[in-house]
Amino acid sequence: MLILQNLSDALILACTYILMAAGLTMVYGVLKVLHIAHASVYTVGAFIGVLVFSWIGNFWLALLCAMLISGVFGVLIYRSTYFYLLNAPRTVPLIASVGMFVMFTDLLQKNFLMGPYQRAFPAAGAGLPAIQTTWLSLTPKQLLILLVTLGLLVLLYFLLTRTRLGLSWQAASMDREMAAAVGINLNRSIAANFFLGSALAGAAGVLVGVYNNSVFATMGDLPSYKAFIIIVLGGMGSLPGAILASLLLAIVENFMVASIGYVLPRDSIAFLVLILMLMFRPNGLLGRE
Amino acid sequence: MSSGYIVTIFTFVAIYISLALSLNILTGYAGQISLGHAAFLGIGAYTSAVLAVRYGLPFWVDFLAAVVITGIIGTILGLPSLRVRHDFLVLATMGVNFVVVSVFKYVDFFRGAMGLVNIPAPTILGLTFRGGAPYLTLTAIYALLTLAVCWYLSKTWSGLAFHAIRNDEDAAASVGVGSARYKIYAFGISAALAGGAGSLYAHFLGSVFPDNFVFVESIGMLSMVIFGGIGTLRGPIIGAIFLRLMPELFRFIQDYRFTLYGALLVLMMLFQPMGLLGKDSWLWKFSTRLLPGNRTSMREEIP
Amino acid sequence: MKHKGFSLGIALVLLSLLAAACAPQAASTPVSTPEPVQQTEAPQVTEAPPASTEPIKIGFFSPTTGFAAADGTSALQSAQLAVKIVNEKGGVLGRPLELVYYDDAAKPDQASAIARKLIEQDKVVAAISGSYSGATRAAAPIFQEAGIPMLSAYAIHPEITKTGNMIFRIGTLATVQGRVGAELVGKVLNVKKVAVLIVDNDFGISLTEGFKQHAADLGLEIVLEEKYPLGETEFRPILGKIKASGAEAVYATGYYNEAANLVSQAKDEGVTIPIIGQEGYDSPKFIELAGPAAEGVIITTDLNRDSERAMTRLFLEQYKAAYGEEADMVGASAFDAVMVLAYAINTAGSTEPQAIVEAIANLKNFEDVASGPFLYYTPEREVVRPISSQIVKDGAFHLYHEFTDEALTKP
Repeated sequence: MLILQNLSDALILACTYILMAAGLTMVYGVLKVLHIAHASVYTVGAFIGVLVFSWIGNFWLALLCAMLISGVFGVLIYRSTYFYLLNAPRTVPLIASVGMFVMFTDLLQKNFLMGPYQRAFPAAGAGLPAIQTTWLSLTPKQLLILLVTLGLLVLLYFLLTRTRLGLSWQAASMDREMAAAVGINLNRSIAANFFLGSALAGAAGVLVGVYNNSVFATMGDLPSYKAFIIIVLGGMGSLPGAILASLLLAIVENFMVASIGYVLPRDSIAFLVLILMLMFRPNGLLGRE
Repeated sequence: MSSGYIVTIFTFVAIYISLALSLNILTGYAGQISLGHAAFLGIGAYTSAVLAVRYGLPFWVDFLAAVVITGIIGTILGLPSLRVRHDFLVLATMGVNFVVVSVFKYVDFFRGAMGLVNIPAPTILGLTFRGGAPYLTLTAIYALLTLAVCWYLSKTWSGLAFHAIRNDEDAAASVGVGSARYKIYAFGISAALAGGAGSLYAHFLGSVFPDNFVFVESIGMLSMVIFGGIGTLRGPIIGAIFLRLMPELFRFIQDYRFTLYGALLVLMMLFQPMGLLGKDSWLWKFSTRLLPGNRTSMREEIP
Repeated sequence: MKHKGFSLGIALVLLSLLAAACAPQAASTPVSTPEPVQQTEAPQVTEAPPASTEPIKIGFFSPTTGFAAADGTSALQSAQLAVKIVNEKGGVLGRPLELVYYDDAAKPDQASAIARKLIEQDKVVAAISGSYSGATRAAAPIFQEAGIPMLSAYAIHPEITKTGNMIFRIGTLATVQGRVGAELVGKVLNVKKVAVLIVDNDFGISLTEGFKQHAADLGLEIVLEEKYPLGETEFRPILGKIKASGAEAVYATGYYNEAANLVSQAKDEGVTIPIIGQEGYDSPKFIELAGPAAEGVIITTDLNRDSERAMTRLFLEQYKAAYGEEADMVGASAFDAVMVLAYAINTAGSTEPQAIVEAIANLKNFEDVASGPFLYYTPEREVVRPISSQIVKDGAFHLYHEFTDEALTKP
């Protein structure tokens, strides 16, 4: 009973990880850039979400607006920086990304944007019911996270496998030059990829904001590295890998805490798992090669 | 006069010059991008602090122990780099940083989050270096020492080997350059030098807390190397000076200091991706043209 | 090729010479100073002739950027408010107060540079740290050596005040608050078995230390002890353990953001035993973020929001009016630091450091503070004051119990 409850809690935690990492792994797959500023997109998403929600009080509309604006924001990041750095050494886009993350976090903290304080995001479960069975219990918030994550993943699956756009991404993530050579419009394809990946980050920001009932300028600090643990664990650029890694990580973390407590903080546990795994599978759980 | 203020800032500048130069050995020469260098700063600082506070050992023992122990730990932590490559390695180094910080925080031997306090000022030959210009001299000497090591490495055969690893690991292995051995050397030397800087850092501040060595600090160090010009001797120095001074010089814009800091990094990467004084940077070309006798073909710039 | 390394080396030497040249006073050979910091008496500073209307400068640093910006901003705004109130009442010694403030991003290296800047460039007569323990602890020895009084607003590391006779604390020592917490749980709530959650920083550890000591005196059994990382948002696994432990109450150290998640999730998971917090919870944000789950949470704090004391009311009302937000505990500490300094300078009749320090040390039943009254300072430069406990009722903190027994509240 307790174990089942722990499992279902871990599942919800995994959903928040999946959302943080799914967009990032898509971007990484095509661009091979350590896009730390992805965490800024996440924060912006949460901010837009809470703003729209406080104006009109509808969670779904807030989520939609947040995803759209985050998507556009992501494309702007791509077009203003990475676009020019595609052939530079790996450190160059990495530092540019760090610069953007520092800049956006600092700007968001100013009073004309989010201010230094945390804000509540009282969307609760967006009207969903609680689930209470002998096997497990989910609060409305938890159900909301689960449903939205599943919905977005299904949508993503169809986009990736059933559309021209998705196929062109897959081609680009295998070999960028080759994809260009066979006539794929690389620029449009990468931009679309950024839009979708960033929209997912925005959705993650909104959902985590609702889940913890708090949105603040430095909330991106956590996904700035956590999302990377997940996509590396999963094998850079692999979406199924990221999902698997999220589940694994959430379960290991929660069960470590529930059984022996915090020997080390949650994130250090995650990094230890990562380092150990890399020793045996240097390319991640579902990595190629 | 605001002497102590400027001296304090330059003391940190000197410490960070050592850190940036040592990271450059790993990232610039051996091509192993690390986002965990603050871990080595922390290991050095904690080694020194533990020996000074818990065992009352004199400064020179703390300092040497910090260099040696950090070097050994760096060598061991370098082992995964033999299997793990590219961005995977970046994440692994980041992980090392997190784990090291939380060990300081969760293991009682290091006094956990209460930190180690009352670290005495260093005493060498009966002279106490408490703050001020004397301490700056000490850190400047250490920065020079680090520079000398880097200069030597970039000159010698192993320097060549490092470049070979950076440019093409597989090719380096095939022409008989023991890439594995040099990668481990790079980790060891880089960590040892950072450990010494950590010792100076701890004795200067007089107290160390786990949070002084978080991942964000590592990002700052890598930024210095790349902002200044990766793989060169001058680059990390100018990067450390510029990025350390910038937040202090721009105090007049108060809360926007870090907006500007971030924007500068982005702009530099867009317009001078090899850094302020890196190879191909216009500033470097311009200044070398002004100085006759300085040719641009430097050993550390082997393409 | 060879010259490159050397010319760089020369540049580096020049750089350090340049810095040393900017530093005529300090550019001497290494000085032998055998005395440890603790014993150094502050040097006497001769004061400029009075009767000027030049402002009296007070230094201030707090993190207004970075992860700690919320606390840093509250502290800064409250200190500014206090300066405004003092100046409206005619200032100090007939001169206005001026707050010289810098952002330290909660980093010790920045704080140590700022300390020197405040002392040497701005020539402040005293300083206030509105920052965290690491930064405050790094700045304290510098103020001590320069003989400038420094007040730590809310940094609770015990070592800060041990630096020397120039360093005072405004907030209550965490070990004392932990002791009061144990009294609240064991005596007032009459609980026999308690679970303790420890946030993994100096605040959590010091609180727990005090709590455990007094719990042993009271025969209060600690059935579960769990450390958790600062900033944690997921408490469900711990809550499961608390349920299984048979605890009748939870003493949970932490700050309002962790606490908000803790109490919300406790409600979700059906944990109904009382949750006891401390001043880390004392922010209107706790109630905003936790919503209805905050109801019934009891905390110990220095700030009694139901107090009729004039200065408490003035602070709470003026803060709201000036900044549009409710004030928090961190702000109250910074506000009080300014008030204590203003009082001390007035009483001393000069801005001479030793006189200021003596005035603070001799302060008795001081009422002009929001989190007061300050009964007196101990020789260890820790304040003794009644500590209140507050309960969240109808979306606001209200007085629950007041602890005045000095056996309990004296550090």
